[in-house]
Amino acid sequence: QSENSSLLPSFSEEDREIDMEISIIASSFIDGEIGSWDLKTGKALLKFKPCASPAHGLTAVGDKFLAASQLKASGSSGSIFFWSWNKPQVEVRSFPKEPILALTANSEGTYIVGGGKSGEIYLWEVATGKLLKKWHGHFQSVTCLVFSGDDSLLVSGSGDGSVKVWSLIRLFDDLQRQKGSTHEHYFTEHTMSVTDIVIDYGGCNALIVSASEDRTCKVWSLAKGKLLRSIVFPSAINALALDPCGSVFYAGGRDSKIYIGAMNATSDHCTKVLGSISEESKAITCLAYCAEGNLLLSGSEDGKICVWDPKTRHPVRTFDHGKGPVSNIQVVRKTFVTNLNKTLSSWKRNGASLPPPLEKFEKPEEDGIVIVDPPPFSDVPVYSSYLSADLIDEQVRELQQQGSAATEIEMERLKLEYKKSLQMNDQWQKNYENLLQVVMELQNGVTN
Amino acid sequence: MVRPKAPAKKQQKKAIDFKKIKRKLGRKLPPPKNATNTEIKSKAIILPEQSVGAEKSGIATSKKGLTLKELLQQTSHHNPKVRKDALLGIKDLFKHYPAEMQSHKYAIIQKLRERVTDDDKLVRDAFYKLFEADVFPACIEDNLGPMVSLLMPYIFSAMADSSIDVRLMAFKFFHLVVKNYPPTFSLYAEKILENYTDIIQKNHFYVQDKSKLKVALSGLEHCLSLLPCDESDTESQKKGHLQKETLLAYEQDVAEESVRFAHVSEKLKEIVGVLINCFQDFIPLIRARGGLDEASFDCINHILCGVRYAIKFSNRMHIPILDQETASMLLKKLLGSFPLNPENNLSGKVAEWYFILNSVLTEIFLEVSGWSLLPWDISCRYLKFIDNTLRGKFTRSIGESIHKKTLLALVPFVPKLILRVEDREWRDNFMQAFTIITLSDCEPESPLKLALRIPVRVFISVVRDLIIPNGDILYLNDPTVNNDQLAWVDELPSLLTKLGNKHLVSTQQFVKEKKKQRIEHAISVVLQLLIDLGRVGCVKKVLIDRVRCLQNAPSTFKEDTRKFFNPYQEEGAVEPGGPFARLPRKIQELALCFLYYFTIDNFSPPMQRAIVSCCLYPQLKPAVLYRIVEVLHTAYRDGYIQITDHLSFFITLIARFRESIEYDGRRETTFQALTNLVCSCLSEMGDSSLVLQILEKVFVEQIILKPALVNGCGILRMICTLDSIPTRLSESSVTALSEFLPGYLIDIVNCIPEDKEKLSYLYIYYLVPCFHLFDRSSRLTEDVLKRMRLMVSENTRAMLESSVQQDGESSRNSVKLIQCIVSVILLMHNDVKARKIISPFKSEIDLILQNLVTLQSSSLTVEGKHMMKIAGERLRIASNSLLSCTTVTML
Repeated sequence: QSENSSLLPSFSEEDREIDMEISIIASSFIDGEIGSWDLKTGKALLKFKPCASPAHGLTAVGDKFLAASQLKASGSSGSIFFWSWNKPQVEVRSFPKEPILALTANSEGTYIVGGGKSGEIYLWEVATGKLLKKWHGHFQSVTCLVFSGDDSLLVSGSGDGSVKVWSLIRLFDDLQRQKGSTHEHYFTEHTMSVTDIVIDYGGCNALIVSASEDRTCKVWSLAKGKLLRSIVFPSAINALALDPCGSVFYAGGRDSKIYIGAMNATSDHCTKVLGSISEESKAITCLAYCAEGNLLLSGSEDGKICVWDPKTRHPVRTFDHGKGPVSNIQVVRKTFVTNLNKTLSSWKRNGASLPPPLEKFEKPEEDGIVIVDPPPFSDVPVYSSYLSADLIDEQVRELQQQGSAATEIEMERLKLEYKKSLQMNDQWQKNYENLLQVVMELQNGVTN
Repeated sequence: MVRPKAPAKKQQKKAIDFKKIKRKLGRKLPPPKNATNTEIKSKAIILPEQSVGAEKSGIATSKKGLTLKELLQQTSHHNPKVRKDALLGIKDLFKHYPAEMQSHKYAIIQKLRERVTDDDKLVRDAFYKLFEADVFPACIEDNLGPMVSLLMPYIFSAMADSSIDVRLMAFKFFHLVVKNYPPTFSLYAEKILENYTDIIQKNHFYVQDKSKLKVALSGLEHCLSLLPCDESDTESQKKGHLQKETLLAYEQDVAEESVRFAHVSEKLKEIVGVLINCFQDFIPLIRARGGLDEASFDCINHILCGVRYAIKFSNRMHIPILDQETASMLLKKLLGSFPLNPENNLSGKVAEWYFILNSVLTEIFLEVSGWSLLPWDISCRYLKFIDNTLRGKFTRSIGESIHKKTLLALVPFVPKLILRVEDREWRDNFMQAFTIITLSDCEPESPLKLALRIPVRVFISVVRDLIIPNGDILYLNDPTVNNDQLAWVDELPSLLTKLGNKHLVSTQQFVKEKKKQRIEHAISVVLQLLIDLGRVGCVKKVLIDRVRCLQNAPSTFKEDTRKFFNPYQEEGAVEPGGPFARLPRKIQELALCFLYYFTIDNFSPPMQRAIVSCCLYPQLKPAVLYRIVEVLHTAYRDGYIQITDHLSFFITLIARFRESIEYDGRRETTFQALTNLVCSCLSEMGDSSLVLQILEKVFVEQIILKPALVNGCGILRMICTLDSIPTRLSESSVTALSEFLPGYLIDIVNCIPEDKEKLSYLYIYYLVPCFHLFDRSSRLTEDVLKRMRLMVSENTRAMLESSVQQDGESSRNSVKLIQCIVSVILLMHNDVKARKIISPFKSEIDLILQNLVTLQSSSLTVEGKHMMKIAGERLRIASNSLLSCTTVTML
């Protein structure tokens, strides 16, 4: 498999039997379709119609199906369309309460998260279409949403220039919510709307890079919750892509140039250019990186999709998406069992069972409030700052095995509390007796 | 070795000579010999004293001729006087040989440190002075860490000495060490605190021995002030540049400050308890009739400040140090005793002392998170004090600087106070008081004004906390939204303009760089707040609310914002226009971000005019101009600006921008870059045919006004960007264009000297939009050529009719015009593409040629005839080649 994936530009008939097919999908702002191409051959695949989705509004839900939020709103409500991989028509239409801009799904494709125009963020369960949670994320429209590598954190960027990091598990902690803090981090250093966010592989300790209309890209540390770098570009940055080695990122500018920014930059300004799409300064609108074969994909205002080799800094291939500006590019990996015919049938099987549409309203929870246990060592300031996916797994495991360490600790704590209250009780009793004695003596004195 | 020996020998000889001279007393010696003698004599007196003196003259010695080594040895002499003298000698030696200190510092400290525990007072004093004046100042540049680690064990042992004086000196000396090397405290925090607890508590200096107590207390206060408080850290981080940490590299486990101090909480608790007890001891003195004396004031002040630091630390770093017991003690013994001067008849200085103590107590009160548990009457006393301070009611008896200091300490607590006080009356009171302080700055008559100049930074941070605590809007959905809060927001733009003007003045006059930076920082702070308000949607809300709430006092927010951006005076205004254009680039960037948020539903025509006049301001840097266009375009894309407003902004910009044609350099001029930018924005706006439809009328209107060459070119380029092949322009627009273009083309030739080869790119730049238009509409080409032909023939007729050489001026003009038209045609002919476009209209060119021919045979001046001849020749060649061109295409 690895050999196949590393030799991308060469293509032969035998490759039809590879285990993984890498295709790219792209959508546009204006009325059009979602185009898909085989990355290796450059062959155009199915076109999914109709679709006009905003930036970051297109996502593959696992490898199950395709979802895109729509710019064209029907009344006050927004719309999200689902396509199965093998049919060009929309199969499922959902109409959330408000127009959704950013849309993303976790890597397994079990949850879909959408960011609304008003700044609300919606979390749906794919299998049932249930709206699990809706919360106030930002003051203005949510422009981009990204899951961390382990799917435990959600990073959202907004038109108000803020970047917030949410822990998916803590979102459901009603106690925390009552205390008023739902987000893990709240970064406000950007002065204009955030256009794109990328996150590296560090899980809950990852570095994230955010791009903004204020012409800067900023590097943040999730572990420390603070700004590490702020790099100024000669133009506003529309899109970001992270190099898999993690030390550089690519930034697509409004001046048609793709810049190379170093995470570890020592200077505040970045002028290193990978390449420029066109002479007429058509803005780069989106970027994607394909780790298999090390290719950088860029979409631009004039509807061109360009595949770059970042090493040589030359374009390798271009796709024509049509007249409208490209709003999204995504690299999709689909795994096959054996040959093409079989996969088609397996697709069909998958495609037949698209999930129900996403619900509009949150159903009130019946069973009390939800509390997430604090992680172990939470009393030590260094460890209390985050909840990682590993921790969640651990807690689940502990829940399954009754009488585990967690419950023991809880018992210990209760015992201690019990002891304390007993002591308190004694104290009160003693006080009472003393008082009584005093009163008695006084009484005696009076009678005497 | 050579030098020292020589004088010794001489000395011996001279001694013998001297004796001989004495024997020959009767004779007079020659004077010169004597003179030399005396000189040597004086040397001879010094040397015999020390037998080993011979080896020393190259080495640094003290006044008494002792080397450092000897002096160090003597510091442990059994006689205290010798020890003291040795220390003084070292001091003296360092004075003359500072380098000696650097090279031997570790050896010196290793020897000297024993003297911390010296049992003689004079020796200890000398030791202290030596370190204070010489050792530490000399080492201040290099790392004191190793030196301190050498000293500390001895200091600790001295701190535990049986003699109280030794102990005190140890504390005093330790204080000196901490002053010079603050990390000392964090390294030995636990042990140090233990020692302080011990000396203050167990050895109970009675209140009588205040000077001794003061030594310990001042050191302790200094140490506690070194406890980290998160707030100041973040403040400095925000202010300064980001530290460049290495990313993606192995990071050593550097413990955070808070973690480093986490284990001292127990000790801190103890020390707070001890301090409170100590304070208790002073109560009788405080309550005494005549008030405090200075020494006890110092002691109490140290105590209270120490407590304040400790509590601040525990609050900010979330390390609890107050358990039930200490907390109740704190409330009862310390806070309960407020206010400290029940009698009011105290004189100046003493009253001031009491005021200071009270304000420190108030700070502690505000820091203690559980103060709401205090009995209400005590809380009320504090609240009253705060209120009075805010309103400046003490100013008569208290010095201005002290009052200001207190105010600065108290003001940051105002938001918290307002949030926490449940009593509505108090809340309104504080709100009002704060508004008075902050906004009274605008009224010069206010008596408070001078005393209460709060730095803008503090003001802004408080306002921010009041309006958007935790980055969240607080009162906006509250129906009882306070007018005061709106008043602050309303005030911000005018504050901005004021600061900006101040900055302007500071750039014009010679003002210290530091002051200028301070103003710049203040501006950026205000802008940052405005941005934050904008991003939470507050600006919009405020504007609406202000309109609704205060009909009689309309909001000045919009006007002030406008004034800030508009570099020209508004009608009737006396003062110069807004300072935006003259601010540094970084602040301009911030201001533009604010503009972006301000545009949300607020982009009114007056604001637009302000921005346009800002863009057209000649001193504005091009980069800022481009950025304004970019920001407004973003605002348009996000739906904040109406399309018509946005388009009219573009047109106005292109039509009004003033720039002369530049001849030097091939670089893009500002206007060319601007045109490119606007064109690319236009092309991003969606269906270009629709945009063209909207704009067509405006374009025609502008073109009829006959704009200058550069602006005309800009407009033509805009049309080209939006138009397609074949043209979508209406008939009437084409007619308007055909009226405009001949003049435009002639202008090109007129304005750019023809002969310079290197300027051909300029021709191309201005001609290309015309060619595009011609390409898209053959009617336009025909009309333009026809018009030019008519011009030629008209002029020809005029020249022929006017009697010979009478009207020299007009005929010269006519000749020039005809020449220009010929040049235009030649230019078109020179371009391969344009040649094809004009080839169908060869007949028009031929007609022009005929006119030229007639002119040549007319009664023109010789010069004119010659010119016409040349022009005619060139045109003929062009026309011929056109013919061949058409025939080729026909073939």
